[in-house]
Amino acid sequence: MLTSSLIRQALVPMLAGYLLIMATLGFGLRRLRRSTADSQHERSLTVGPPEGPGSAAGSRRGWLALARHVAGTTVGGYLLLMAVVLIYYYGVARVGGDFIKSAFTGTAMLIVIALPLWGTASWLTERHRERDNDTTAGERRAHNLKVPGPKPLPAVA
Amino acid sequence: MARHPLVGYLVWALLFGALFAWEGLSLARVGSLPTLSDVFRVIMRYPVGRWALFALWLWAGWHFFVRGWHFLLRA
Repeated sequence: MLTSSLIRQALVPMLAGYLLIMATLGFGLRRLRRSTADSQHERSLTVGPPEGPGSAAGSRRGWLALARHVAGTTVGGYLLLMAVVLIYYYGVARVGGDFIKSAFTGTAMLIVIALPLWGTASWLTERHRERDNDTTAGERRAHNLKVPGPKPLPAVA
Repeated sequence: MARHPLVGYLVWALLFGALFAWEGLSLARVGSLPTLSDVFRVIMRYPVGRWALFALWLWAGWHFFVRGWHFLLRA
């Protein structure tokens, strides 16, 4: 027998999560179908370049834009989650165990741990890719130097 | 109360099963289902979508690795 507290604290959030996932998938499907009509849009959906520092090719402006993008996403996501947590706590269930404090500090700690790691990994990946590109370009140049050009025509007397 | 965790696990198993089934079907190109990557790419075009995804990721990390843990992360 399901108690009312179980329904409020477990079933409702789970149902909400399920509806959220299904709505997301449905939204994606709708967008994808709409995009299929426009072939150029379709191309950007499937084979477009990924977002990130690669598009900026290591330029300072690219990294600044990426940092701004990441900062906006981080702050927005954090505030959104805190809003949901507060609504859940005051509207659905008064969960014990320093719920609010843990939400604010725990997620902030995750951000502090994850962001530098992600930034370092992105920088190393980009550096590795640039080095690979330089090596490939150098090999191509060396190959082009070895290929003999067309012979000059003999002078006619 | 002993049935409480079992019901929770069953519902979560169903949710993840549905998700994996969706991804499998879309990767197998059955019908015109978009893959999760397609869906996420579309969502991440919009700031609110990025915020929601980041909030979801943050919640998962907090829920699984911070809340209730007494080793290393919590005194």
